[in-house]
Amino acid sequence: MKTVDAKIIVDRVTKQFDAGDPERDLALKDVSLAIADRQFVSIVGRSGCGKTTLLNMIAGLLHPSQGEIRVNGVPVTAPGPERGMVFQQSALFPWMTAIDNIEFGPKNQGVDKVTRRQQAQDLIELVRLRGFEHKYPRELSGGMQQRVAIARALANDPDILLMDEPFGALDELTRSEMQQELLRIWQARQKTVVFVTHSISEALFLSDRVIVLSPHPGRLRADIAVPLPRPRKRTDPAFMALYEEIHSAIF
Amino acid sequence: MRSSEGIPGGAARPTRRARRRIPDWLYGLGTVAALLALWEFASVQGWLGTHQLPPPSKLAGTFQQLLERGFPRGLTADVHIWATLWRIIRGYALATTLALPLGILIGASPLLDRATAPVITFARSVATISLLPLAVAWFGVGEETRIFLITYACFWIILTSVVDAVKGVPAVYIRAAETLGASRRQIFFQVMLPASLPRIFAGMRVALGVAFLVIVAVEMIGTVTGLGALIMEARTFYRSDIAVVGMIFIAIIGFAIAKVLDIAERLLLPWASSLDEVQR
Repeated sequence: MKTVDAKIIVDRVTKQFDAGDPERDLALKDVSLAIADRQFVSIVGRSGCGKTTLLNMIAGLLHPSQGEIRVNGVPVTAPGPERGMVFQQSALFPWMTAIDNIEFGPKNQGVDKVTRRQQAQDLIELVRLRGFEHKYPRELSGGMQQRVAIARALANDPDILLMDEPFGALDELTRSEMQQELLRIWQARQKTVVFVTHSISEALFLSDRVIVLSPHPGRLRADIAVPLPRPRKRTDPAFMALYEEIHSAIF
Repeated sequence: MRSSEGIPGGAARPTRRARRRIPDWLYGLGTVAALLALWEFASVQGWLGTHQLPPPSKLAGTFQQLLERGFPRGLTADVHIWATLWRIIRGYALATTLALPLGILIGASPLLDRATAPVITFARSVATISLLPLAVAWFGVGEETRIFLITYACFWIILTSVVDAVKGVPAVYIRAAETLGASRRQIFFQVMLPASLPRIFAGMRVALGVAFLVIVAVEMIGTVTGLGALIMEARTFYRSDIAVVGMIFIAIIGFAIAKVLDIAERLLLPWASSLDEVQR
């Protein structure tokens, strides 16, 4: 793929923390990556491989020590409403109801009350939470909370959805349900998705492409295309072959 | 559209509310009644001298005397209660007004936090009553001294809780707000402040309790009004029954205010009280 067409470009990025632990301080070393528009890319790897660090840098929450990250050709210096993020644990604001959480972004972007309420209602429909819009996060199950989190991240209508192990805390059944839901939402809204996960099977089930990082320091180990048609079956031999390929790249 | 059971991601958590035949407060009331009976019995048996701890039956008369005639004569119970409450209200309000903005400022600035931490710890450790001689030297024996001491006691407690609350706002809330495009100002007012409120509220509640502890000692000099003065005056005249009734008044007011705060918190921070419910 030519880098000119890319939505997100990670250009020789190194991230050096400065906590005084020489082995772990170098979180990422010389990582380059180009992600196409509307691609669904997963980043997998063991703890300490810098996958969340990379995601946070694309979000603009952290800054590369060397190299550059560009989104739509523009260097990333700070978070922005064109990049929505879904966090690992529920990062919903507990003092706001579901719908107020969803409206938080547009409200602070100056979208008027009527418009943003209408958009939020549409998103509630999209994530299938009708009837729960006025519940506080604590009154919702883990899966429903992450539905709200996805809707909130979509509320600014970003081009890019960054997801940091969003289903990591869910039980297996809910998790598998949410994976299908995410694909449905992704197909409905046509976003570029960067999805960080520990789970090879989750990455394979969801993505067009799986990036494998290796730890200490985080380096790009493998870049594996997943040409399987959706919906995918985990028992499909081609699925299992790719699983093996990613697994051996990690270990 | 699906029914709520069919919603993927699981159904909403049910609010836990066990159904009981006998309400909690009835148990509490039973204990109070039993203690009163025991107390009365001990007095009748002569185990407790009337001047050591007058029996409940005698206190009823004291109550009535305080309400109608007052002690010293003319200063009825409502005068004392109001005097005490009014001092607490002024001292507490002053402490809150000062501690809230200052605490937010310190909590939001790591530099200020490091610079002020030793002073705050020191000032908070000073027993308020030990400041009485100094306060008298500064403000005389009038109302100013009493208000100052209540303010002092409450101020450090509220300040500490505000600082801790602001520092303790989970970083993920702030990062989430940043990725949603909120400005620093928007994050401050819409994320930092509401996220700190439950802990600020907890500190304000503790401070109010402390105000009631301090008030009695503070009213023991230079005034004849207030429940502390009432108790002190009772001591002078060997009226332990009046001292006990004064104590009971303080306890009842403290209890009532704690209840009012409970209700206020439930109304103002409904999301935080539902949080308690989940953790219970």
